Amino acid sequence: MTSYSKEVIADLIAGTLPWPQTRRIMSAYKDDDRFFKYVSVLQDRVGWSDPILLPVGDHLFICQSGDERVTKCECGHSFGDYRKNWKLKAAIIVRDSEETLREIYPNSDLPDPDWMEIREFICPQCGTLHEVEAAAPGYPIVHDFEPDLEGFYRDWLGKPLEPSNKGG
Amino acid sequence: MLDKPASALRIRERLLESERLMDETGCYDGITELKLRNQDPLKFETLHTKLRAYCVSAREMARRISASPGVREVGEMVVAIYTPEGDAIALSNGIMVHVHTMSRFIKWMIRNGYEENPQIRDGDIFANNDAFIGTVQVPDVMDVVPIFHSGKLVGWAGAVCHELEAGGITPGGDVALAQERFTEGLFVCAEKVGENDELRRDYVIRCERNLRMPIYWVLDEKAKVASCIDMRESVKALIDEIGLDYWMQVSKEFIEEGRRAQLARTRQLTVPGIYRGHTFYGHVTAGKPGYQPLGDPDWLYNMPIEMEITTDGKIIMDFEGTQPWGYHSMNCTPAGMDGGMFVTLTQHMNFEGLVNDGAWMATELKLPKGTWTNPDNEMVATATSWALLLPAYGVFQRLLSRSFIARGFVEEAFVGQVNSPMIEMGGTSQYGTPFGMAHFECAAAGSGALAIKDGLDTAYVGWNPESDMGNIEIWEQNMPMLYIGRSIVPNSGGAGKYRGGCSFLSTWLVSKTDHLRLVTSEHSSRVFDNGGLCGGYPAPTCQKHRAVRESNIFELAENGAPLAHHTGTNPYRSELEVRLEGEHVTLEGPYITAPHKTGDVFTHSYNGGGGYGDVLERDPVKTAWDVENGFLTKEAAQGIFGIVLDEDAEGFPVANLEATKRHRAEMRAKRLARAKPVSEWIARERERVKTADFAPEVKKMYASAIRLSPRFTKDFSAFWDVDAKSTFGVE
Repeated sequence: MTSYSKEVIADLIAGTLPWPQTRRIMSAYKDDDRFFKYVSVLQDRVGWSDPILLPVGDHLFICQSGDERVTKCECGHSFGDYRKNWKLKAAIIVRDSEETLREIYPNSDLPDPDWMEIREFICPQCGTLHEVEAAAPGYPIVHDFEPDLEGFYRDWLGKPLEPSNKGG
Repeated sequence: MLDKPASALRIRERLLESERLMDETGCYDGITELKLRNQDPLKFETLHTKLRAYCVSAREMARRISASPGVREVGEMVVAIYTPEGDAIALSNGIMVHVHTMSRFIKWMIRNGYEENPQIRDGDIFANNDAFIGTVQVPDVMDVVPIFHSGKLVGWAGAVCHELEAGGITPGGDVALAQERFTEGLFVCAEKVGENDELRRDYVIRCERNLRMPIYWVLDEKAKVASCIDMRESVKALIDEIGLDYWMQVSKEFIEEGRRAQLARTRQLTVPGIYRGHTFYGHVTAGKPGYQPLGDPDWLYNMPIEMEITTDGKIIMDFEGTQPWGYHSMNCTPAGMDGGMFVTLTQHMNFEGLVNDGAWMATELKLPKGTWTNPDNEMVATATSWALLLPAYGVFQRLLSRSFIARGFVEEAFVGQVNSPMIEMGGTSQYGTPFGMAHFECAAAGSGALAIKDGLDTAYVGWNPESDMGNIEIWEQNMPMLYIGRSIVPNSGGAGKYRGGCSFLSTWLVSKTDHLRLVTSEHSSRVFDNGGLCGGYPAPTCQKHRAVRESNIFELAENGAPLAHHTGTNPYRSELEVRLEGEHVTLEGPYITAPHKTGDVFTHSYNGGGGYGDVLERDPVKTAWDVENGFLTKEAAQGIFGIVLDEDAEGFPVANLEATKRHRAEMRAKRLARAKPVSEWIARERERVKTADFAPEVKKMYASAIRLSPRFTKDFSAFWDVDAKSTFGVE
């Protein structure tokens, strides 16, 4: 079975692993022990102790926080119950004019703001930009991901989660 | 059943039996145990490797027979070997989208009684380019030949080439002006076009008299037939070696293993659950010449996609909520949608082990009837189906990438690349002859970012993983235009911690013709269609088309004055306007206008890919290199990414890390000050939604989705706390 050290996985996640080595990992058989090493690397990165159960973005994690399972920013800010759309608890910048779109697209042609806007979803505590939606005006905010957390741990990882009183 | 050779007289019954067995057992053709694989795995794997080698070798041979730069240079071709029932066993590299569309073609002939009439015999050649039978669009012409051994049908060999000219209402193959089937070009509807290994003369004559440039089509037909015969003979020789009974069993076990491998791959790389995303496509043709007013000239489509990954490892893609088919060329058929799924799986998940129709069988598409994904009218046009198909599968790529990130395989997360505006042309060539062709340099656009690195610059497109733009000289031989520039477009990848790959722009001088019609398709300049991921921004929209009619370029050249080689980075005044005199034209949406002639200048650019991650985390040192090499401008580095660049002694950009840190802290603070709670935004926006205060195209988009989809209506109503039907006047 292919396996890599935690240090190699950490460098891979950070984008600092030399390209030839990254390329070899991409071309090789996948390492079956990746998930828990990955989570372990991420756990070392955060400044809080709630166990990470599942990463859902570059700096967003579902974690066990006491009796609750919540979506949490790397800075520690909680967006609440992981089964609900974290975006609804975020801060937002909407770019719906030529002026605000031009800030991101300085020399390119722009969308028609009457047809499309950009929505930036930001952590209200640390200011990390977690997700960008490009949508027609009036389009409901999308709930990107509802993981089957229990099924994943039970059926795929073979390590069922402890029952939780709250949050799933 | 399974260990007996199929009979040529009862292939239809065999097909139905195979489907029944799949329904009953959940396994392909009822194969619940991989007996031959278990008996001798090495022999099993070696045989499949041989089959794949037959396919790759046949395709390479065919490319050298072809006259078309699309096939020879860019590799717009794929070949595959099928079971008697039409399921793909092995395939070559190339435009893999067509592996399963050919499967649909073979099955269509079987279901429609081709055994009796026109009969399926050794040496027959069947061709098709009808998307409702099994292809994506008219220029994707497929040829299949039956493989007989010991007098029995034991399989099929098939090949597809994308033709550069299809004889439609506009030259080229992606016929942007088609609003109905009847304007798309030359249809070959599952026809027997050859016997005794030779194309029929009457078929060739039909091609010669209905295409602007039949040399491409006809020679590609010969290339495809040659590749099919080559594969057929190789398979027959293999059967002589391993025995017919073994072949009939092992060929099906290959597919069942492919199905199991895909399920295992999904369980290995992803996380089960529901994933959602959307993209949009806008079309603008109002006032353009040749446009027939059957449907609205300007329209906007939404494409919401819900992907479920079950704990069994099955991937289900549901398109409920998307738009109805329309009187435009961008509708797709279920065959095309299947093809999109197949090409995405082969690139993003199934890149090891056996890749065949088994992978497709481990997935499910939900294509609501009446939508552009599954029109309930077979007269609709599908000539530019890629325009909607590709953005949709771009969403699929992003949804899959989110699952890879959740699972930890960050090196596989790839924002993708979804759309390339095709440029097509026709009229009188530089040789004084009629011509028409599609220019395929768009096969090397900029890809989306990965979760660990930037996207590929001018090196990727979703529909052909080989992504070769071809040499300038080859294209110049085939069109009455000369390159006066082909350059990277700075800032054309979506911004992010890792940026999307940059696109490129070509600048041409029209030469030695008084009649050159230029037409673009698959072009959306009013909305983003290459989205970003995890905080990355979408790539810019497709750029507008810029042309100069009756320019003074020859005079400038004669005087040794500077010429315009690109449009530059000033959005308000292009380099064409700075350098050239003449009639300056800027056009959004598809380029459909009066013919050009010698002395005119035309520019065309392509999409970049979306970005990944927060822009304020981008590596300053790498960004200095990007600026030095023209992928980013210094202004973008500072204004978007917060990276301050100084210059070294030789004038090259160098990252100022301390100043960058300070600048980024300020940008982050400004971002926080500018942002509002989402709840506040929703409360304010709801007032606008209640009055449907949107552009007419947006209102129409919502109304049509609400009319077709109870789920979209329910979700929209629940999110905004409105009655969606009454808001948009839907009965």
